[in-house]
Amino acid sequence: MRLSAEEALALATRAVGLTAADEAEAVVTSGSAALTRFAGNRIHQNVAERDTRLTLRAALGTRTGVASTNLLDEEALARCASAAVEAARHAPEDPGFPGLPAGESGVLAGRDTAGVTVFDASRRAEAAAAIIAPASAAGLVAAGTVSQSLYSLAVANSRGVARATSSGDVRATVLTMGASGGSGWASWLGASTAGFDPAAMGARAADTAARSAEPETLDPGTYTVVLAPEAVSDILEFMGWLGFGAKPLSEEGSFLAGRIGEQLVDPRITISDDALAPKTIGLGIDFEGQLRQRVPLIEAGVARGVVTDSYFAAKLGLPNTGHALPAPNPYGPLALNLKMGAGDTTEADMIASVERGVYVTRFHYVNVEEPMKLVLTGMTRDGTFMIENGQLTRPLKNLRFTQGILDAFSHLGAIGAERVLVGPGEGGATLVPALLLDRWEFTGQTG
Amino acid sequence: MRDLVALALDAAQTAGARYADARVVETRQQTISVRTGRVEGIENAESLGIGVRVIADGAWGFAATSEITPDGIRAAAHEAVALARAAASTLLAPVRLADVGAYTDTWTGPCETDPFSISLDDKLALLLAADEAMRAEEAVRISSSAMDFLHVKKLFGSTEGSMIEQSYFESQAGITAYSLGGGEMLPRSYPNSHGGQAVQGGWEAILALDLAGNAPRVGEQAAALLSAAPCPAEMTTVIIDSSQVALQVHESIGHPTELDRVLGDEAAFAGTSWVGLTDLGALRYGSEHVSVTADATIPGSLGAFGYDDEGVPAQRDYLIRDGILTGFQSSRESALEIGRTSNGCMRADGWNRQPLVRMTTVSLEPGSWTLPDLIADTERGIYFETNNSWSIDDRRLNFQFACEIGWEITNGKLGRMIKNPNYTGITPEFWGSCDAVGNRDHWQVWGIPNCGKGEPMQVAHVAHGAAPARFTNVRVGVGR
Repeated sequence: MRLSAEEALALATRAVGLTAADEAEAVVTSGSAALTRFAGNRIHQNVAERDTRLTLRAALGTRTGVASTNLLDEEALARCASAAVEAARHAPEDPGFPGLPAGESGVLAGRDTAGVTVFDASRRAEAAAAIIAPASAAGLVAAGTVSQSLYSLAVANSRGVARATSSGDVRATVLTMGASGGSGWASWLGASTAGFDPAAMGARAADTAARSAEPETLDPGTYTVVLAPEAVSDILEFMGWLGFGAKPLSEEGSFLAGRIGEQLVDPRITISDDALAPKTIGLGIDFEGQLRQRVPLIEAGVARGVVTDSYFAAKLGLPNTGHALPAPNPYGPLALNLKMGAGDTTEADMIASVERGVYVTRFHYVNVEEPMKLVLTGMTRDGTFMIENGQLTRPLKNLRFTQGILDAFSHLGAIGAERVLVGPGEGGATLVPALLLDRWEFTGQTG
Repeated sequence: MRDLVALALDAAQTAGARYADARVVETRQQTISVRTGRVEGIENAESLGIGVRVIADGAWGFAATSEITPDGIRAAAHEAVALARAAASTLLAPVRLADVGAYTDTWTGPCETDPFSISLDDKLALLLAADEAMRAEEAVRISSSAMDFLHVKKLFGSTEGSMIEQSYFESQAGITAYSLGGGEMLPRSYPNSHGGQAVQGGWEAILALDLAGNAPRVGEQAAALLSAAPCPAEMTTVIIDSSQVALQVHESIGHPTELDRVLGDEAAFAGTSWVGLTDLGALRYGSEHVSVTADATIPGSLGAFGYDDEGVPAQRDYLIRDGILTGFQSSRESALEIGRTSNGCMRADGWNRQPLVRMTTVSLEPGSWTLPDLIADTERGIYFETNNSWSIDDRRLNFQFACEIGWEITNGKLGRMIKNPNYTGITPEFWGSCDAVGNRDHWQVWGIPNCGKGEPMQVAHVAHGAAPARFTNVRVGVGR
């Protein structure tokens, strides 16, 4: 059963009362999710789940412990409360623990989820069929997903916090493949089905797959690149994980360490975390019940700051920006709703301005080579094209890059005017434009 | 619980399912983490739920709920049938399953000492001692250590007559020291990176690691890396330690031999495979030194079980024998596509996920070399230890791995330490260049509890047996 925001808050409030500690915090996440998965031009998996989880944090002085359960009977709630207190009893004192954050009570108006609820199994099947149709008609093979998620988050603590909200999202992806090595990709993410056009998505992926047939090789080297928004999203997510949170900054182990206030990248680049921007799907509160703030991270190319939670705000003497994850977590606060400022160029104009370069639809399996230098490696996927004399010409076999991102963002050509919401959904997504970068190091190719 | 499983199967059949299975999964987990002298987290978690999988109108449906009541379970069974019927609208051919027997059985993994019976004080003392010992080196500015314990109890039932109970413990621990200096952060881990070593077993497995005893060396090597030589950019011979060979097997052999990837069912997310159905029995995957098995019967490995999550008994099967592709990892549905029966590789990440083809314990079979002899036999090259970064393309051909540490090999001896060593290659060329594999004394099973696949995402706990191995003409120092 999925709880409403009000029901989740009632459960959280009751759980706080069960916890015999100096301070206590209860987080309730409750949701339902359904995903229709297709491959080989037919639906092959059609799944749904419902779950509600309670996480309790107990504090005895500066000692803290956490316990969680998805069993919600009285005995299980008491066992969970007891386990959290027992964990705190054994924990050493943590002089840095500032106490649980104070705050306000009330249910925040969540996003309207009517447009998510209607996306039931039959409509998902219709959408999948519409996505598949252009591929099937062209003798291509489509694989992907259409899904909906509905979720509530409630946080209550013994210092007056009693916040809850709810949201939902609709997501779709398609990879279309041809027999001669071509593939294309399209995706959709939004707070409802408004604007979702599965047939157009399928057609876009099929068109790219057809155009990328018989890909050719390209010698590794330094090239100008146009990165489509999905590729930019991959890069931004790694920046968020490696550097835009307070923990790596406090440990002096990130690319922002000692560089706040410094001109880091091209002055046309601005990045913020903004869960409440109209086009995003972020939640209004974090997992400590604090209101999420819009946080400037890089402004006009200058490093401005990081996102915090109550622990790292106190540790670094910064404001709490409301970016806590469920306690305990190994990452510290994270920026889950990154947004890059838009430019004034169309993707077509970017391509038209390139004499010789590479167009990248998206990346695959990106990973970190050197975290403090923000050196990443990964592969291109599903539509890599040569740009010659301002036009997409030959499709290319997938390329490997090994690239320092700060260096790449310091050689900016242009930023796209149109931004796309990309991500896994369930509260996390990036809002990103296409980028034209003058220098990008391709270090290998799949033969 | 047997009654509830029977209720789910009955409800699914009444609603129109031709086939149904149901899994009740109960887990208990404890995680303890220490970072740079601070206990970052102590968490105890429990979870219980049921997943119902059906075939109705020829298509799959799956629904899961944590509402373990007759009404909750009936609702899940009915939803699974409704999902199957919706999926049937795009059906090209009805789902068919390879035959499997009906089993009533129990299976229990090995565990000498229940890790949940050990006091938090003992666990914290061990981690804090290791944490402090790593920071004896001034250059080690961040230290990290953690333990994770899991107890899983599963009950599987199917409309074909199986009712199988399984339970096991998993225990994991590891430490990492990070040195900071000159704009670099350099990790050094023991016994492995990314959380350490994970096995099916109990507290005895943690004690055997001797984290505190190894912590000073880990700290010293992390500090020494700051002044180590950069990785040269060249083509050379490499010797890779067993933990990195394990990950190399995982990414470039384990995943591409999953039959659902080969058939295209994972294309949109994890990708497909460079291997095709017609390659079976013919493709030279690697040199004659490369033989690889998928073996769910190795006691204590994360890939071990009595039955997979669709009730197929655990098996040992060759994927590659003497360099030639001989098998795939399969499910009942995918095995039928190649005219075989399932070799038991269907596994689900908990009660709320539908089983997928997943690795069990996929291992490079041992060769005949000792590590000292392997190094002594190498005129020039680099010895790599402990993974730091991994990346591979969607067909599992083009990979790049970085390790935590390396040493030059000159005239059969280890020389200068190398920082940030990495290597890249193409799967068949790389395995084709394997000219030596370490013997059984150097062969170890490594647990990998973070293998992501599927949508919605599932994280599998798998394992790989591996010994150090040597490869020639490998490109190292990419982007260095």
